[in-house]
Amino acid sequence: MRRAWTAVFGLRTRLMLAFLLVASVSATTTAALTYREARSALLRTAQDTAISSFRDQVRQTAFSLPPRPVELEDALRRMAGKGKPRPWVVFAEYGSLQVSSGTSPVSEVITPHLRESARTRDEGGFERVVRDGVPYLTIAVPTVFEADTGEELPSGLLLYAVMRMTDEKTNIDALVTAARDGALPGLAIALLPALLAARSVLRPVRNLREAAQNIGSGRLDTRIEARGSGELAELARTFNESAGELERSVHELRQAEARARRFASDVSHELRTPLAGMLAVTDVLDEDAAHLDRDTARAVRLISSETGKLAVLVEDLMEISRFDARAAQLNTDEIDPAEAIRQSLRSRHRTDGSILTRLPGGIRARLDPRRFDVVVANLVGNALRHGGAPVTVTLSTRTRPGAGPLLVVEVQDSGPGIGPEVLPHIFDRFYKADAARTRSAGSGLGLAITRENVRLHGGTVRAENLPGGGALFTVEMPLWAQEAGG
Amino acid sequence: MSRLRRGRHRAAAALAAALLLGGCGIQQTDVIAAGGPATIQVLRHRNSQALLFFRLPDGRLNPVPRSITPYGEGGGPRASAEDAVRALLAGPGEEGEALGLGTALPPAAPGGVVRVTFSAQGGVRARLPLPLGELDATARHQLICTIAYATVSGAEVRMTGQDDASASGTCGLGLPTGVVPTRPAPGRGTVPPPATG
Repeated sequence: MRRAWTAVFGLRTRLMLAFLLVASVSATTTAALTYREARSALLRTAQDTAISSFRDQVRQTAFSLPPRPVELEDALRRMAGKGKPRPWVVFAEYGSLQVSSGTSPVSEVITPHLRESARTRDEGGFERVVRDGVPYLTIAVPTVFEADTGEELPSGLLLYAVMRMTDEKTNIDALVTAARDGALPGLAIALLPALLAARSVLRPVRNLREAAQNIGSGRLDTRIEARGSGELAELARTFNESAGELERSVHELRQAEARARRFASDVSHELRTPLAGMLAVTDVLDEDAAHLDRDTARAVRLISSETGKLAVLVEDLMEISRFDARAAQLNTDEIDPAEAIRQSLRSRHRTDGSILTRLPGGIRARLDPRRFDVVVANLVGNALRHGGAPVTVTLSTRTRPGAGPLLVVEVQDSGPGIGPEVLPHIFDRFYKADAARTRSAGSGLGLAITRENVRLHGGTVRAENLPGGGALFTVEMPLWAQEAGG
Repeated sequence: MSRLRRGRHRAAAALAAALLLGGCGIQQTDVIAAGGPATIQVLRHRNSQALLFFRLPDGRLNPVPRSITPYGEGGGPRASAEDAVRALLAGPGEEGEALGLGTALPPAAPGGVVRVTFSAQGGVRARLPLPLGELDATARHQLICTIAYATVSGAEVRMTGQDDASASGTCGLGLPTGVVPTRPAPGRGTVPPPATG
């Protein structure tokens, strides 16, 4: 229930509701207490005035004892006009005689309680009575008279005054109206600080959210202005400290990665010079191997082939280092891709029957010819090494909505296909499809370099298995590559 | 925690209810005491007056002033005790009965002799022309009060009837501001102080 409540209303609404609640409770309480005090003061004044003036009148009026009804009625009428704060109706009782200054000798408003208390306890009293919505003040005064002996004896004459309190009612109703009319604008005014408070709370919260979004999208130098010493300022400081820590960690990680890459690049550079010398020597040795005895000749040929592989590996490492350092550049030229593929195959002596080509002419594309050659050669070499002949190379163009015309190169082999656990990692560096076969003809970087080259052109490369067996590598790149700065 | 919260809710509800039940407008009240009785001025006639004690419809005794004889014949403004007792025995009269006044005394036998004297101790003695033994407490009280207020209001009144039965007591109707009534001596036919509140 509580969770639902907080879920439905936002922070702003809850703050406003809280403010309104506080304001209304305090306004209502103040109004109610003030009203009660004012009302009882108003009533007390009216009652005290009425009681003391009635007693004065009773004291100043002369009665004959035992009373004569006609005389008594005259006396009551005289008293009735002199009521304070307002005229009243005066009733009198003596024995079984009941007389009043009004039309009826008996009052409907005077309660038996008041009558009883005045008669039996010889004590004056008053009672507020509401009859048919009209409030009355009823006053009872028993009387005594001074006997010849100087003693005061109960006279047996009871006097009552009944006064309508309509004016007091009007005044008190006016108090209610005033309290209500004061409370409602008060509540409306309370909304103003509520809005201000909500804003002062919500603005830092919004800043915090934006800063968190910035951090999430990689701008680690985002900081929040932390003013004052409130909870929100503390939160902002904590956020800033965390962001600082995060930035430092990420910076260190990047530095470590850069160091590792630079190390690989340096190592391959350092290896290149001695390898070049070694390759020159192994070429000579290869030529002379025929004249050596058999065992020595085999050793020499092994050294030669391994040195060649090492040279390829070092070249590939340097190539990938250039990609990592974002030093690889696209040198585009307008070429015929079909002709470029044919040339690539021819230069690597892939002209026997193991390669089938479907290369339509008439396509023009702007590409980096060297990198395109690397892509084709790597894919075909990979297909021949890990798949199986025959390998089909298909060239086509395609238009995809939202992108420009695409150049599509498909390389399909006739091997067993790629294992499902291998497929997601096929373009990773040094990923060996067969863990047992640690030594392979390739450097282990071929497909990784292929992918980097395709990306440099703004294209994609993907691998999949065909339903009829065999793997299919598809390269898609824009026909007109943008020559990016880096 | 939940109990605490519930308690707080209950307190808030009680406060709201108290404020609301305080209500608007003018509320009824119970009877509120507002001082003692008021002293009135009584119109006097130029006659000797006596205070006769008659019974009100609710059973209480009430002093009723009665003019008995004109000043010149009776002497002072106060009528004699004998006249007062005779007037009491004559009853409240038509006018009094119309007001609801009553008496517990039997109608007086004509020609009866009333005699009131003072004793050496400051008490009042009265000889009455009626059988005292047959009277009830109210009737005796009527007699004692009437005699006392015609002589010495706080005095002990000892009455002897036709049947030689006697009764004594003090009136004790006066308010505490007046003369303090003495306690009646214990004895046969002592009238207890009336239970007027």
